Amino acid sequence: MSEQSPQPNGDAATDGDARDPSGFLSEIIGAPVTVKLNSGVVYKGDLQSVDGYMNIALERAKEYVDGEMKRNYGDAFVRGNNVMYIAADM
Amino acid sequence: MGSQMLPLELIDKCVGSRIWVIMKGDKEFSGTLLGFDDFVNMVLEDVIELCDTTWLIRLRMQSTNNNASDYTGARSKLPKILLNGNNICMVHSIALSYGQKSNS
Repeated sequence: MSEQSPQPNGDAATDGDARDPSGFLSEIIGAPVTVKLNSGVVYKGDLQSVDGYMNIALERAKEYVDGEMKRNYGDAFVRGNNVMYIAADM
Repeated sequence: MGSQMLPLELIDKCVGSRIWVIMKGDKEFSGTLLGFDDFVNMVLEDVIELCDTTWLIRLRMQSTNNNASDYTGARSKLPKILLNGNNICMVHSIALSYGQKSNS
């Protein structure tokens, strides 16, 4: 009885949403996202792909330092260990 | 031994409710927990990101006040995020700790 894992299934507090991050990730592939790094630098662009390390490939990436746009990248790879969060732009 | 509760089970109880996530360093997130994985990466909804929160922490040490309404530092709102578990220090459910919700 105390054997149940803390993972998925469980009683539904939410309405049928996936309860681990993979559902969210597949939901936002191709969508515009904001990626914030631990350093505070922000990248905005279209999310091309993510993997289990949170390595990220962005298209049309814009780099923001202290809220100011600094650079444009057609394609950018962000190594996962630097990522603080990935936010969906809606 | 049935009363033994694993740490991740505690987080699982918070799914669907509003939580505070206190990060390593001067940062906190508040949002509705939609899901998480074994690394405690979290999917959060209706998120408020607070920066420079050291004084908030100090305030909490003096009282049970968890209200950030008079917080003056930089804050931003994010509709839905995947938060990297790497820098998460502490997670705190507002509902559970105030006994408003006793979700078996």
